[in-house]
This record gives sequence, structure tokens and C-alpha cells, in this order.
Amino acid sequence: MTLSAHGLSVVRAGQAILYPTSVCVSPRDRIGLVGASGSGKSTLGHALVDDLRMQGHVVAYVPQSPDEALDPLWSMAFHWREAEKALGLRPGAADRKTLFSALKIEGGDLRKRPWAWSRGMQQRFVIAMALMGRPNLVVLDEPTSALDPVVAAATMQLLDHCLRESDTAMILITHDLGLAARHVSQLMVMDGGRIVEQASTEDVLEHPKAPASKALSAHRNWLALPC
Amino acid sequence: MISSVFDLVLRALIVLAGTALATFALLWHAPGDPALSIALARFDTLVTDEVIEMVREEAGLNIGFWPAFRAWIGPLLWFDFGNSSVTGREVLPDLLVAVSYTFPLAFAGLAFGVAVALLLAFVATKRPGGWMDRVAVGVASLGAAIPAYWLGLLLILLFAVHLAWLPAMGARTPAHAILPALTLGLGVAASLTRIIRSSILEARAQPFLPAIRRRGVPSSAIGRDHVAPHAAVPVITLVGLEMAFLLEGAVMVEIIFGRPGLGTFLVTAIEARDFPQVQAVVVLTALLFVTINLVIDVIYRVIDPRIGGQDA
Repeated sequence: MTLSAHGLSVVRAGQAILYPTSVCVSPRDRIGLVGASGSGKSTLGHALVDDLRMQGHVVAYVPQSPDEALDPLWSMAFHWREAEKALGLRPGAADRKTLFSALKIEGGDLRKRPWAWSRGMQQRFVIAMALMGRPNLVVLDEPTSALDPVVAAATMQLLDHCLRESDTAMILITHDLGLAARHVSQLMVMDGGRIVEQASTEDVLEHPKAPASKALSAHRNWLALPC
Repeated sequence: MISSVFDLVLRALIVLAGTALATFALLWHAPGDPALSIALARFDTLVTDEVIEMVREEAGLNIGFWPAFRAWIGPLLWFDFGNSSVTGREVLPDLLVAVSYTFPLAFAGLAFGVAVALLLAFVATKRPGGWMDRVAVGVASLGAAIPAYWLGLLLILLFAVHLAWLPAMGARTPAHAILPALTLGLGVAASLTRIIRSSILEARAQPFLPAIRRRGVPSSAIGRDHVAPHAAVPVITLVGLEMAFLLEGAVMVEIIFGRPGLGTFLVTAIEARDFPQVQAVVVLTALLFVTINLVIDVIYRVIDPRIGGQDA
């Protein structure tokens, strides 16, 4: 089933942060939402998640840092139960074992609170919570920028592995074209609150059309990031 | 957790010991002859030098500071506060009578104050910056600006004199406690409202709330599980401190309403330099503050184990 949201827009203090935008996502899509800081990537991500949820779709969201996903006063077990309840699942209904072993967090003590876990493990726990309801779409907002490069790469690989078997579509919000190139097949380039280019990852990287795409692509080359 | 609670108790005991020594020293070295004050309080007039010397000996004022301190602190460890220098009666029963007037009043005032503050704060935070918010903050500021002695008199004028609904003076029936409790409670409500309001607003601005909301957690559960516990920490501190102040004897309010209690007990004792009585009140006050602080610290650690710097 294709998910679509039309006319998403956000105005803050009289200024348009996001101009009316439509997004369509098919099952198993791997879409990268890229652009410079302040181009409206996160805003579009939030608006899209909220709109699709209102339509009744199961949409999961993973914020940039685990600090933005976990309440330091509650144990990991509490967060897990809370997420299950929010999805209308019985306690223990979500397949925790499989998810935890896929994301390599079986060793984590669920009775502990988030800050007793490493940040990498916290972030993978948040991803596990996002995937527990077999969502139609998961939106990840710079999911690895708070992690060190080694843990970040491992986390993305584990995420790829988890999504391989399911129909869940993924939107990866990032300003790191190298990361996008490794994990997504389409790119949406944002600039000034609008999507200025949408094409396959290869096209955008090799033949960028919009100025914003060219700038991003140029910086990628300059930084010699691997693709 | 257990070791940190042990640390807290140890710290509380040190504070108590220090308070006992400091108050004894202060009272001992206060200017004027305590024997003369005691003699005057006891015999009113006709105080000769012999009488003063006799009182000095009886009250144990002639044996030097450290022996006197030891003679006082030893029995105190078994809750023996000694006998009044003026009346010769045991201090503890009189102190308990005073407490039996002050504590219920203080708790009633606190309960009323917390209830009003919670109500005002919830109304205020429904729409921050809206007219209800401004009215609630205005009421709270007004409450903080009105001194207890004026508010008390105003309440007496309205409810006792004009409407004749409630008794104003004395402490014979529970109804006598209503006006003093209102006076105390409105003062408490004024300071609490602003703290509860700002704590709620601060707790609502926490970075993880949007993601929890996007997970589909209903807003009632978010308020209960993620806003209230974070907002509670500063509020608990203030409620504890207010409670300690109220228990210590709402001196002003007790005097306005002609109620017996710790306030009157303390003022009478200080005027007569009745060492055992004054020290009994001071020790009780210190004990209350230390106990309440201890309870607050333990509650903190239960809500947020990061406080106190140990692992989960």
C-alpha cells in the first residue's frame, strides 16, 4: 500500500518553514531526505509522520539523539511497555528477542534507565522500539549523528539488516550524502523549505540538477566521502 | 541506594549535634544575667541577691559552659528535655501540648495551600500566556504580597465579625482552626503556585516529549508519566520547606488568632530565659528540618537516581 501525504506545510511566527509539499512512499522504499541545515528536512519529517499517523497508518519515528526519545526517569522496560501499549499490543506481544538480537542489544539490562546504557545501545533500543509494531514507514532523523563513526556505521548496517525482511519503507533524514548513498536508493533534496530535486541516488550524485543538489554533491566530493 | 541513605542520615545527625551545641552556646552567652531573668519570671518582684544566687544554682548556671552542656545533652538523647527553670514543671508535656495545637494547624494550612496552588497552577498552564494564566499568576503574586497579619485580620473581619460564620479567637473547637489555617494556607498557595506553574512548563519543554507523542502515547499518559515526575522535584523541595516553617510554629498567625501553640510557648520561654524550654523548641525545630530534608532527599533519589551520583 502506497502512503501519501499532500499539502504538508508549516508556518512559524508568520514565516513559512515548509512550503506545501506532497510525499508518496511505497513499501520497501529507501528514501534519503537530504539538504543543508535549516532546509526543512526535520520539519518535513515531523509533518509527514504526524499526517500519516492521523490517516491511521503505523509510522515510526527515530529522532537524532536518544536524549530526544527516552525519559531519563524511566527504565528501558517501562519505555518498551509504553510503546507496546501505544500500539495496542499486549505486554510482551512484540518480538523483543528477535529485534534485540538483530540490533545486538540482547545484553542490555532493561531494568536500568537509559543513562546506564551506552549511547549506541540507547539509539539501537530506540530503533528496536520503532520497528516493534512492523510499521509501514519508519522515519529516521539523523539517527547516527550523535554516535561515533564506528558505532554509527554498525547501527546503520543492523538497521538495513532488520528492514531487509520486511515491507517497511524508510526515510532517512541526513545531511551526510555519503551515508545516504550507502543506504538509500532515492534522494529528495530540500532547500529553503521545498523539495527541489527528487531522483535516484545515483542521478543526484552524478548529475545533480538543482543548485542545492550541486552544492551537496560538490561537498561530498571535496570531503572524499566513500559511496 | 542504601549506602547513600546511610550517608544522608549520618549528615543529618551531624547537623543536629551542631545545632544543639550552637544554640546552647548562643543562649549561654546572650547578654544579661539569665539567673536574674528566671528569678524575675518566677517571683515577679522582690528579687534579692540571695534569691538570684539560689536560682543560679538550681538552674545549673554556676557550673561552667561545658559541664552545663553535658548535663543538658546527656538526658536529651533519651528525649528528656529537663524541667522548666521558671515553673519547675517537666518541659516535654508542655511542649507536646503546644505541638498538639500547632501541628494540626500547620498540616491543615499546608493541605489547603497545596490544593489551591495545584488548582491555580493547572488553570494557569492550560494555556500559558492566556488570560487565565495571567489571572492565576496575578492572584498568586497578590497572595505573596499580602502579609499574614493583615490577611488574618481581614478574614476575622469578614468571617467572624460581619458574617459571624466562624469563631476568631482561641482554640476550643476545630472550627477555631479554620481561619488561621486559611491565613497560613493562602500564604503557602501564593509561593507554591508560581513554582508549580513554572515546573510544569519546564517539564513540558523536555526534549523527549515530541518523540514519545509520535510513538502514539496518549497525552494523559504523557502528563502522568513524563511531565508530572519531572515537575515534582522542585515542587517537593518547596513543599518540604514550607512544611518545616509551618510546623516550627506559625508564630504570627497563632498570636493574631490568640491560639496557644509553639509560637506562644517559645516567646514566653525566651522572655523568661527559660533555657530548657527554649532549647526544647530549638531542638524540635532542628529535628523537624533535618527529618523533612532527609525525607525530601530520599524521595529525590527514588524519583531520579542520578541525584546523589550513583548508578541505577
